Order: sequence, then C-alpha cells, then structure tokens
Amino acid sequence: MSLDEKFSALRKGLLEFLLLKIIAADKVYVAGILRQLSGTEFATQEGTLYPLLSKMRREGLLDYEWQESDAGPPRKYYKLTAKGREQLRELSDYWNKIHGTVKDLGP
Amino acid sequence: MNKVITIHLHGVAFQLEEGGYDALRAYLDQAERQLAANPDQAEILADIEQAIADKFRTLLNANHNVVLTAEAQAVIAEIGPVTDGSAPTPGEEAGAQSRAGAQTAKPSVAQPGSAKRLFRISDGAKMHGICAGLSAYTGIDVTIIRMLAVGLVIGASGLASLIALLTGSGEAAAEPWFLGLTFALLAYNLLVLFIPEAKTPEERAAAAGPSPTAQEFIRLAREGYYAGMKSLGDRHARREWKRKFRHEVRQHKRAFHWRMGANCGPLPAPGVVPGIPPCPPSPDYYPGMPLLSALRALLRLLGVFAVLSLLLTHSVFGLPLPSSLPVWAGVILLVFAYNVLSAPLKALRHTHYFRSIGQPYFWNPFAELWHGLVALLVLACGIWLADRFVPGFHAVLLNIPTFLHNAADTVQQWWSGVPVEAK
Repeated sequence: MSLDEKFSALRKGLLEFLLLKIIAADKVYVAGILRQLSGTEFATQEGTLYPLLSKMRREGLLDYEWQESDAGPPRKYYKLTAKGREQLRELSDYWNKIHGTVKDLGP
Repeated sequence: MNKVITIHLHGVAFQLEEGGYDALRAYLDQAERQLAANPDQAEILADIEQAIADKFRTLLNANHNVVLTAEAQAVIAEIGPVTDGSAPTPGEEAGAQSRAGAQTAKPSVAQPGSAKRLFRISDGAKMHGICAGLSAYTGIDVTIIRMLAVGLVIGASGLASLIALLTGSGEAAAEPWFLGLTFALLAYNLLVLFIPEAKTPEERAAAAGPSPTAQEFIRLAREGYYAGMKSLGDRHARREWKRKFRHEVRQHKRAFHWRMGANCGPLPAPGVVPGIPPCPPSPDYYPGMPLLSALRALLRLLGVFAVLSLLLTHSVFGLPLPSSLPVWAGVILLVFAYNVLSAPLKALRHTHYFRSIGQPYFWNPFAELWHGLVALLVLACGIWLADRFVPGFHAVLLNIPTFLHNAADTVQQWWSGVPVEAK
C-alpha cells in the first residue's frame, strides 16, 4: 500500500479545511482554487470540487456571487460566510492540536 | 473523415467529433446519476458544463474549430469524475490522487503542445498587459519587467542621442532620441497586435505554464482513446445504441435550452433560477445619452483645435502662452484641462452605463490623463515619421496654418453674418 493510498482518507478530510483557507484569503473562482491546489498533494478536479463547494454552501459555510469576467461568461466567485469563518477558526485550532499530538507522541 | 455534432454548452455552440460527443454525453449522464440524490444537481451540472465550455474554448481557434474526440476525452479526464460531495466515494478520489501523485514522481514527462505560452494579461495591466504577460511567462516580478522596459527605451534613446552628439551633429541630438521613442511605441503596438490576450481561465493558466496534473491527464486520456478504438466491432448494436442515444440527446437539448434560457427569455422565470448565470442586463438607453455624446464630441473637437492652435500660433483661443512656459508643458496642461473638463461628462456616461449593468464604477483620472498623453504621443510620432520619410508631407504641414486661418476666418464671418464673398 503506497503512501498516497494510506493517506487518501486524510487528504479527503483536509480538502474542505483547505478550501475554507483558500476562500478566506481572497474571493476566488473554481479555476483559481484548482490552480492553487495543483502541484500540491491536494491536487483535485472540477468534478470533485463543484459538488463539495455546493455542499459547503448548503451548510452555510460559504456563498457565491456572479461576477462579470473581462472575457467569457460571468463566473461564480466564492466567499466565506460568518459561519464559514467561525468553522475555519475551529478547524485551525483542531489541526494545531493534531499536529502537536503527532509531534509529541513517539520518537 | 468523421461526423461532427454541434452542441450547445452554456449558451455557446461547439462542434464535436462524434466520438467526443459520445464520451461527453456518457460523462454528463454519469454525473447526473451520481448527483441524483443531490439537491443542487442542476446547479452542479451547469457548473460542470461551464467548465467544459471554458476548456473547449481554449482548444479552438480559427484553424481548429472542431473539438476532436481525443481532446474531448482529455477535457473530461481533466474535469474528473463527478463525486457527490455529501456522500463521497473514497475509492475514486484515491485513484485521482494517486495518478496525480504518479505525475509528481516523474515530472520530466514533457508533453508537446501543452507548453507555456506567451499571452497578454489584462488583469492588473497598465496598458495592454504585455509586461504582465511577460512576467507570468518568465516568472519575474511585473514591476521589474516594467522598470526594465522603461529603462531600455530611455537608455537606448539616450545612447542614440549621445552617439549623435559625439559624432558631431550636435544640434540634431533630439532627433535620434525621438526616433528611439517612436520605435519603442511601434514595437509595443506590434507586440499588442501579435500576442493574443489570455481570455479564459485556462489561457491565463497557460500563460504561467500548465499544471502538472493537467499534463498527466491528457496523456492518460490519449491512451484510453487509442485502446477504445481497437474494440469497435458489432455494427448492429452500435446502430441501436446510436438511435437510443439521439433520443436522449434531443431530450437533453430541450432541457438544456430551458435551463440556459430560464433567466433571460421573453418570459423570465419568477426569481432567478439558481445555478444559471443571470441574464446580462442590456444597458438601457436613457434620453440624455445622445446629448452627452454630442457634448463630448464637441469638447473633443475643441480640444484638438486648441492643441493645434497652441502648436502653430503659441496661443489658445486668443490667450497667449506665457513665455516662461515651453510648448510641450502647454500641451500637457491642455490635455489635463481637457480631461478635467470632460471628466464629469465621462463619469456621467460611465456611472449610468455601469449602474445599468449592476456594477460599481470607479473613475480613475490618472488613467484618463495617461491615455490622453499616450494617444497624443503616438499621433506626434506618426506626424514626425511622415514628415521625415514621406516626400511632400512637409509641404502639407506648412500649408496647415494658412488653411486653418482661412477656415477660422470663414467661420468667423459666417458667425457675424457677413457673407464670405464680401471679403
């Protein structure tokens, strides 16, 4: 079993956390999110991203607005809601705790 | 020779090879089934279709107007299987990730045709985005590129005039300087002409080089396409399948037309249907607009006249230029005055226009001044070049003052009611 497969569930769980982080930094559209993730261990695709974003919107974590692009059709720009920012704070704390635990345990 | 099918994605028509169409159809059907239980099914499908349309647009140009089967499959592979966000299947995700991982393990696989490309980038551009495009292409900060460009122009022009100065023709030192500037402007405009502007997100990404995952997916899709070609037998089954398929297509087309038109048909749906871009509002025409345009045209005419009279008679509307002020400073002042005077008109027009399409409008006076100066500079360079290299143009230039005087006299006489012949 390769490292990739071993950590696939972990990466999956972290993707939502990373999306919150990316969207918190700046209003983005999907191609921008994909570009930021490409080349990292979290590289993903539209087919995964759109359903995940729509789920997060249903949960009230983020919202989007249509914005004209200087070329081509209008795009959806995503931004965090107050609830999304709150969740990002909680997840960051949790992640720091996990990170500390991993460091402290064992050699 | 392959059959071509025209489809309609997000309000834009695309032509696809039949094989690519089949693949796309199968992909969208699969996505629809995956999302069957998802309350946002229609919206996610519309998003996916827009992503496909964006990618197709990047592939096509004047000489390549049909999406090939392999290209359609590459786009589908790039978008990846649609997984329901609320109930993810870890297996598929892991597959995509390990493929992406495999790519990072051997990054030396170079794909022809998907290399970095030079684009103009209008986001954050000062003029036409040449420097921004170069910056994305080379990875050097855009400010450094801009400073280099300006430095190069000034340095080269200065060097040329220095050489002219040293080689003896002292009084003509301004000429090489002007020549250098002219060539720099010409070169920039040629670059604007020949470097395409990055219009889609994919082109913008290509300006900075493709992502490694995209390259790997294109390779995988190509392999899958050739494998599929080998197992193409049984004509009867194929025909039956095609018939069913066309039926599905017709249904899908009807549904799709409805969805795309839902927000801007003659009878728009009550409220905005989610997941479909809002209808682009057409700027409504308000009665003051023609008047504003006419006023602006008049002002522009006056501005050109003022600049000409400043250059030729050193006075503007009878007001002499202060002797302490050089002519070029007078021209800059005039351009500035013109921009200040026309600013309210422009702002009125623009605010109205932007309000009608529902966007805030920010007016930048310095950009306007800059554009005015650049336009004047280009005009001056053109006149100067023509004067220098086109025989006979000099005589025309010399005739302009007399022509203007005559024209002014004619207008004055007409104004005061004296018939022109009575002069």
